[in-house]
Amino acid sequence: MKKYAIFWGCMIPQRLPSVEIATRKVFEKLGLEIVEMEGYSCCPDPIVGRYMDRKTALAISARNLAIAEKKGLDTVVLCNGCYETLWEAREDLEDKEQRKEVNSVLSKIGRTYEGKNKVRHIVEVLGDDIGVSEIKKLVKNPIKAKLAVHYGCHLFRASEGEDMWRKPNQLTDLVAATGAQINRSKLDQICCGFPTSHVNEEYSMNSNLMPKMEAYQQMGTEGVVVCCPACNVQMEIGQMSLKKYGKKYSMPVFHLMELLALSFGVPPKELSLGVHRSPVQQLAERMV
Amino acid sequence: MQENQIIDLLKKTLSEMLLSAKIERERKVLAEIKPEGIRDAASALVRNDVRFIIIAALDSGLDIELLYHVDLAGRLLVLKTKLPKEAPEIDSIADIIPGTEWAEREAAELVGARFRNSPNQTHLVLKKDWEEGKFPLAKPFKRLPDVVAPVAESIATVGATAPLTPLMQRKREEAGLASQPPLSYSIESQMKEVHQLIEQSGFVQRGGYDPERRKLRGVRK
Repeated sequence: MKKYAIFWGCMIPQRLPSVEIATRKVFEKLGLEIVEMEGYSCCPDPIVGRYMDRKTALAISARNLAIAEKKGLDTVVLCNGCYETLWEAREDLEDKEQRKEVNSVLSKIGRTYEGKNKVRHIVEVLGDDIGVSEIKKLVKNPIKAKLAVHYGCHLFRASEGEDMWRKPNQLTDLVAATGAQINRSKLDQICCGFPTSHVNEEYSMNSNLMPKMEAYQQMGTEGVVVCCPACNVQMEIGQMSLKKYGKKYSMPVFHLMELLALSFGVPPKELSLGVHRSPVQQLAERMV
Repeated sequence: MQENQIIDLLKKTLSEMLLSAKIERERKVLAEIKPEGIRDAASALVRNDVRFIIIAALDSGLDIELLYHVDLAGRLLVLKTKLPKEAPEIDSIADIIPGTEWAEREAAELVGARFRNSPNQTHLVLKKDWEEGKFPLAKPFKRLPDVVAPVAESIATVGATAPLTPLMQRKREEAGLASQPPLSYSIESQMKEVHQLIEQSGFVQRGGYDPERRKLRGVRK
């Protein structure tokens, strides 16, 4: 059984445990083993981490990577923000001087980081290691809904020479594999507004979430699939905030792993979809 | 007096008030001391025929650093001490080493260091009617923007962007998950490790995180 060290991040355990449940169910169906990264911490958050002391942020990331490395496994993330932070930290720590400096800190807590393993987004694990055709074979309940795909900014993060659309296209292919009809929009790659909402909510709503919601509504989109819990929370809480600006939407927003679990035949009630702040539960019952 | 003898003198005089001391290069010793140790240090130096050179005052954004430069028998000793900008106070040593009086006045008026019991608190280089409380070489307090500060504090304190609420613990249990995820805050030894990492990595010194208060230094704007 193939093993993966799963980095749950902060948001999934605290805000969207339904994604954790779905991931466990999907891994079981795929015959994959989840290895827990006991004692991991925040990645740290890609925005906050940039404001914190760089050496501190890098040391926090390195400690997380070292936990997976000790198990001899790649770190697999279900959050674009965690992906950005840990991927970038891994790149920075390729530099011997930086790694030496960070290891001088890690050694004081009895850890070391050697840069042996990779940081991978769940989208590429499913796309590359499993393959869309294998995913299709497991679909028991084809999804009967028109869904939009929101990639999230950090999914475009690519290595030098890598096609930046590789992972976003994999996400679209995975959603399509469930049988869902994809509603494409020119605004699909616009940020959900999570980072800017902390600085200027009105700006964030007007320039990011509201135009996206308008586009979804005009195209008859029934739900939005994301691969990042921060985007998920932003698009759900943001809909509530938009009421202040005279805009009312009721668009279900949910994670890829929840969609896959539903399509693999996991009953909606087993996923605790009630933790969502948008009508995901209702859509789930309707679309399978 | 040789470099090693200077370090021995500081150790004997200051004990726990001495934070570090090293021979930085030939004929130069750099030592960091707690502000409370400055008068004992000055008294010991006077007994060893010190020649005062200068006090360099720097504003790091979090602290005012005072670097007392003295000559001890042809060796340069730099005594560094940090005053938190929230209360940048230190005892004057002008009564022990009179030559420091002008340097204390300069540090006071240019960066805002406050010298307790200073015999002369008049301006040295600034004009007499210079605005009170305005220091031309002082920097703004270095603190993370208010929009990110609470999350940074939470990461440093609980190792996550926010602690797990009792409500969510209950929801996790109801959903058949472990009530506590494997995050560091769920495992005491791991949480301790994260705290050590935060302190060892420089977030306290450079980022202004106060581990005792579990807050960033300074105040919200």
